[in-house]
Amino acid sequence: MINSSNGMMSASSSSSAAGAGGNAPSPGLKTYFKAPEGRYKLHYEKGHPSGLMHYVQGKTATQATVAIVKDKPSPPTPLSQPSSGFSASSGVKSAAAKLLGGSNGSRTFGFVGGNGGSKNLSGSSKLGPFSSNSTNSNLASNFDGKGTYLIFNMGDGLFISDLNSQDKEPMKAIYFNNVYPVCHAFDQDAKDGHDLLIGLSTGDVYSVSLGQQLQDSGKKLVGAQHYNKDGSVNNSRCTCISWVPGGDGAFVVAHADGNMYVYEKSKEGAGDSSFPAIKDPTQFSIAHARHSKSNPITRWHTCQGSINGIAFSSDGTHLATVGRDGYLRVFDYPKEELICGGKSYYGALLCCAWSADGKYILAGGEDDLVQIWSMDDKKVVAWGEGHNSWVSGVAFDSSWSPPDTENSEQTVYRFGSVGQDTQLLLWDLQMEEIVVPQRRPPGGSPTFSSGSQTAQWDNATPLGTLQSAPSMRDIPKISPLVIHRVHTEPLSGLIFTEESILTVCREGHTKVWMRPGTPASQGSSNSETPLSTSLKDKPLLSSIK
Amino acid sequence: MGTNASQLEKEIGLEFPPNERFFGLANFGNTCYSNSVLQALYFCKPFREKVLEYKAKNKRPKETLLSCLADLFYTIATQKKKVGSIAPKKFIARLRKEKEEFDNYLQQDAHEFLNFLINRINEIIIAERQAHLQKQKPNAENVNDSKSQEPTWVHEIFQGILTSETRCLNCEMVSSKDEDFLDLQVDIDQNTSITHCLRCFSNMEMLCGDNKFKCDNCCSYQEAQKRMRVKKLPVILALHLKRFKYMEQFNRHIKVSHRVVFPLELRLFNTSDDAVNPDRLYDLVAVVIHCGSGPNRGHYISIVKSHGFWLLFDDDMVDKIDASAIEDFYGLTSNVQKSSETGYILFYQSKDCN
Repeated sequence: MINSSNGMMSASSSSSAAGAGGNAPSPGLKTYFKAPEGRYKLHYEKGHPSGLMHYVQGKTATQATVAIVKDKPSPPTPLSQPSSGFSASSGVKSAAAKLLGGSNGSRTFGFVGGNGGSKNLSGSSKLGPFSSNSTNSNLASNFDGKGTYLIFNMGDGLFISDLNSQDKEPMKAIYFNNVYPVCHAFDQDAKDGHDLLIGLSTGDVYSVSLGQQLQDSGKKLVGAQHYNKDGSVNNSRCTCISWVPGGDGAFVVAHADGNMYVYEKSKEGAGDSSFPAIKDPTQFSIAHARHSKSNPITRWHTCQGSINGIAFSSDGTHLATVGRDGYLRVFDYPKEELICGGKSYYGALLCCAWSADGKYILAGGEDDLVQIWSMDDKKVVAWGEGHNSWVSGVAFDSSWSPPDTENSEQTVYRFGSVGQDTQLLLWDLQMEEIVVPQRRPPGGSPTFSSGSQTAQWDNATPLGTLQSAPSMRDIPKISPLVIHRVHTEPLSGLIFTEESILTVCREGHTKVWMRPGTPASQGSSNSETPLSTSLKDKPLLSSIK
Repeated sequence: MGTNASQLEKEIGLEFPPNERFFGLANFGNTCYSNSVLQALYFCKPFREKVLEYKAKNKRPKETLLSCLADLFYTIATQKKKVGSIAPKKFIARLRKEKEEFDNYLQQDAHEFLNFLINRINEIIIAERQAHLQKQKPNAENVNDSKSQEPTWVHEIFQGILTSETRCLNCEMVSSKDEDFLDLQVDIDQNTSITHCLRCFSNMEMLCGDNKFKCDNCCSYQEAQKRMRVKKLPVILALHLKRFKYMEQFNRHIKVSHRVVFPLELRLFNTSDDAVNPDRLYDLVAVVIHCGSGPNRGHYISIVKSHGFWLLFDDDMVDKIDASAIEDFYGLTSNVQKSSETGYILFYQSKDCN
């Protein structure tokens, strides 16, 4: 137990020393942290190739995406694989689950973490037994630790690591020669092979097959479909990219100039893709391509200034954006309408994420706050105070379930946030327990009411109006459960997976923190143990309430 | 220089704001500490307006540091060309006359200079006001009457009020005391934001040991808790990041290059309960930047916001920069001692003052 984590630590120290320019090993960074549910342990670290030093001062912050490849080029059968340290019981379980998942073809659980926006592309395990089973099937197909990949950008490179291997260096590097890949997204349910999207600093966008990249031995992108070639439609930097959940190959690219474009991957990138000039840049506007062959098909002008983060609700009906102007905006995606939104306390918003049930949105930014936006109340219902610098990544942990679910009335959400303060914070959101400082009635003294009453004193705001920044004295504050300094460099994102929390720093390093109760966190000295076995102690339907 | 200037004009092009001038200031041997602060102040609009107003009202003033500053600002504002550079000769000469410490060719601390300049201007205004009153009422004996005690425009722009609340741990009495400030000097930590540094500025502090609190209620020195919060938020909030730390083991000041991010918009979390306008919103308008490895070496430059875009003033050079370039001046994430270009004095201007 101690051996394995010590080994991890020394490996990490020496490698981060190399990454930080020959500096001393990072002092005071622990390889575990405690949460109410137990210890999270540093399991793996992923970095870029060590020769990439000159990019450390680069202008791009690393984003990371977890890709679970369902159909590998040559899937080995679980039982015939002479794998090491792999228990038979879980093998049988995996095989069974694989059968189930394969036969009904249900969507599997996936995570795509952009700039902190960890987006749950398909239904979460909260949906019911089917999706939980298929989650398992998904892991079954990864049983050999080769089906889950970490994709991240750094400088002019895009790197792919095997998430479940000990190797720190990526298995694959793709270079773009002086243009920077800045964002990416993966869709494991992609039908025709192109499952990976890459947005560049030039505004160009590629779709490719991840599997094809892994099979190729070169350092260039292969078999790519190219959109917005040389920035012909929009030459401002891509900031974030996302598949439309259930969108049949449609995807959205957000740019640094406040525009967002919808593409269809089945269409050629060429053709007349001109859009009418934006009449009033201060107003939200939608424009459809004049030409039927155009790709992109739609332009969303959302704001002035950069769009810093986008996130689809898991069912694809809502799209949230955050930007340089400090506003969170929530759109009805199919209807192309602005529903609601509001301003940060001050400064830009940098990241956003939805709860799996679509009821809450987290947004973090330059006011050091994690704001919790309620879709029922259409306003900020709480501020998370605890970061010492800008909040660069937020995500709900949809695999987490409260230890005591006897009281079914209470809904508890677990979420995490990372910041430029190099810290990971974990939070519990329990709306019923939030004390709201009530607005002072004329002449009265401040009284307090519970959060469930908040809707009473806020009249319904008209559709599509953006709220100004709230007053400090009106917003309830919550404090984090866990504060843990995870890296030496400012962080750029976090991703929750079934087994772990991934923290990503701007300079291209990712740390994988195993959840309590998983073999790795229990200190298995055999680091070859496949992660998929970790599920055996985990109730499959844990999130169902 | 000339090519640089015309390039700048071309770059700004049609969006060149009418009645605006972007002029670099020549360096007279380590006078960048002054140049950088003067540029920052020039682009603090309320300050510039008052200085130009002073110039308009005082046609033939006695030469003071303020009259020299007013002449300099007036010279910039009335240039025929839109861009270029001028030599603040008279101002520097006057500065060297007024303060011995600046009468040399050594690098000076930009914050010390700002502090000196603001206070001196204030003194000059008060002195001139008293002289004026004396002229009006030559027989009045008490010139320190209420009128001369009224806040000056320097106060109106830069002055805020801090409330220090002290709780005696013996009798639990809370006493509070107000004090004025013209800028806030904040300690900095690695990988933090200015927001965090300001929160820490108002953290509870224990008064104990040699630093006990003299409690009026207990009539003795007692242990106490103290915290300082902002009661009145100024129009221009000047924040001095304490980047020069005295290190005993080196017997000198060392530059702290910590990465401290500062947003383009700011509000204060560390306001007192009785603060009048606790949600006051500020815009970043200027930053004085220290470049180099130590307090007595290196260079000062400034970046300023004018009509929605950002300019970098490096003595006589002026460049338009992208707002995204501001992140180059946050500082370094590793604690290795090396040269850095770091935000040193931040000027935040209230949005409601326009």
